[in-house]
Amino acid sequence: MSHGRRKARNLRPMATSLAFAAPALLVYAAFLVYPAIYSIRLSFTSWDGLSPVKQFVGFGNYSKLLHDPVVHTAVRNNLIWAFVTVIVPIALGLGLAIAVNSRIYLRPLIRTIFYTPAVLPLVGVGTIWGWLFEPTGIVNDLLGHIGLGALQHAWLGDSTTAIWAITVPACWVRAGFPMLLYLAALQGIPNDYYESARIDGASRWQQFRYITLPSLKGAHAIVFALALIDTARVFDLVIAMTNGGPGNSTQVMGTWMYFNVFQSYNAGYGTAIAVVITIVAAIVGIPYVRSQAKEL
Amino acid sequence: MTATIVAAAPDVSPEDSSRQAARGRRMRRRAFAGTIVMLVLALLWAMPLLALVLTGVKSVSDFDAHGALSFPQSFTLSNFRSAWGVGQFGTAFINSGLITAVKVPIGVLITSLLSYALAKLRMPFRRTITFALLMGLTIPIFIAVVPIFTMLRSVHLTDNLWGLLLPYLAFGIPFEVLVLTSFFRRVPQEVIEAARIDGASEVRVFFSVLLPLSMPAIITVAILDAVATWNELVIALIILNSPSHRTVPLSLLNFQGQFTTNFSGLAAGILIALLPILLVYALLQKWIVSGLTAGALKG
Repeated sequence: MSHGRRKARNLRPMATSLAFAAPALLVYAAFLVYPAIYSIRLSFTSWDGLSPVKQFVGFGNYSKLLHDPVVHTAVRNNLIWAFVTVIVPIALGLGLAIAVNSRIYLRPLIRTIFYTPAVLPLVGVGTIWGWLFEPTGIVNDLLGHIGLGALQHAWLGDSTTAIWAITVPACWVRAGFPMLLYLAALQGIPNDYYESARIDGASRWQQFRYITLPSLKGAHAIVFALALIDTARVFDLVIAMTNGGPGNSTQVMGTWMYFNVFQSYNAGYGTAIAVVITIVAAIVGIPYVRSQAKEL
Repeated sequence: MTATIVAAAPDVSPEDSSRQAARGRRMRRRAFAGTIVMLVLALLWAMPLLALVLTGVKSVSDFDAHGALSFPQSFTLSNFRSAWGVGQFGTAFINSGLITAVKVPIGVLITSLLSYALAKLRMPFRRTITFALLMGLTIPIFIAVVPIFTMLRSVHLTDNLWGLLLPYLAFGIPFEVLVLTSFFRRVPQEVIEAARIDGASEVRVFFSVLLPLSMPAIITVAILDAVATWNELVIALIILNSPSHRTVPLSLLNFQGQFTTNFSGLAAGILIALLPILLVYALLQKWIVSGLTAGALKG
């Protein structure tokens, strides 16, 4: 077989595959890859988002970022956010999964209720919890009823408690997904394992420690990776509950980018903020992406 | 994923039957107690939504006198009437419905085509392309919004519902590729080869062999995508401006600002806005629940 003919034979299936892939790849390239790369360029300019000139300022935006007190607040808030909204929902989800997986009736209904917050628009969730956290709202009401009136507080109006208060609905929303994953993993453990452990005289704790926990390893990795990746996206709840206030105390990187670009017309500076948060998110996410890519 | 109760295997040991019956009773009692505990927890978990309902259906004076959690003195729909008018939720439902109805089928179609190429055809640079696509799972949308905004502005698609379409498609692709490619991979190669030997073109193989076999995955992806599209805020906030173009999250955001003192009205408005998604979830929760775990726990 001549070299040329072999080449032609190899090219046809490739052309077919490219034709199949083209529509999605083009959309992805034009509206995700290209804008992302273009943003990196914009982050080196002092562009206001409107004027035809994009003045190159080198690393100016990045050094400004280091000295911006709101960025310091935002970084701190993003870290608080990452810490709380990774650990609490995973712990809650694991606890719920074990509870739902125990011998109970109405399991599908109970599971459905616990997952409900996760399907709601975050703006809706934020609006509900903003209302619950009102100074005269239900949270303070309940605190009064159970004798903790001393803790009553303008939760969202006080800059020291506001960001913590916003993590509460985030945990409410995000416990559902780990619950489902752990539940699926728990249901994948063959019952024989427990049977034979019982026959060997293993205690309940030993069964949990040596059968249940090791079987959840794969689920742990996925739940943790997805939770971590998600933390960089915090935006909706902050916008809905405090809009970054009071006094910028609940700004996170995403909202501070938004305010800079679309309210103060500092598009160059805003994209620099976006670049920073994206680099962090990408570094954190790469192990997960690699593991998924290997599977495909 | 069906959640049938995984009861212990029936005891086959030659136990005396009365002891067995006693054990069964004890287990049923324990399951019953466990169910009660879980129902109470679920009720607490749903408390924010229940408080919303209790507040929405009572009069403002009832709310002022007895608070959010008391049982309504009488039921009223007046809060819903005023919230419906102020919130313009009808327009928002139409807008969100339109963009979802157009975005989801197109997105699922083009991503299925792409996933077929990745899973079953000889794709050049397959590894690199897969990696680049999956990186989209970790990239926050913030990195792309400024150029997206200027690109759309240059073609006069800002403050236009259809300006959302292409960015929504792009940001939906990574998750869809992840689920669909791994599903397509598990479709036996022999089925596809058989169709090819019968002389079917790749297009035919895709539409009449692969898609029908993959319906569960396609439906799941479509539902999850629809929920995400319906709920999306960041791009909508940046692209849309006029009240007549608002999607549901935007109208809620706007509505919230107008009902800062009338809590009964606020609760009614939030309920209205959440009603469609709650209905969809109640009807399709099986698909949503199974799809989420399938996407993450491959294989």
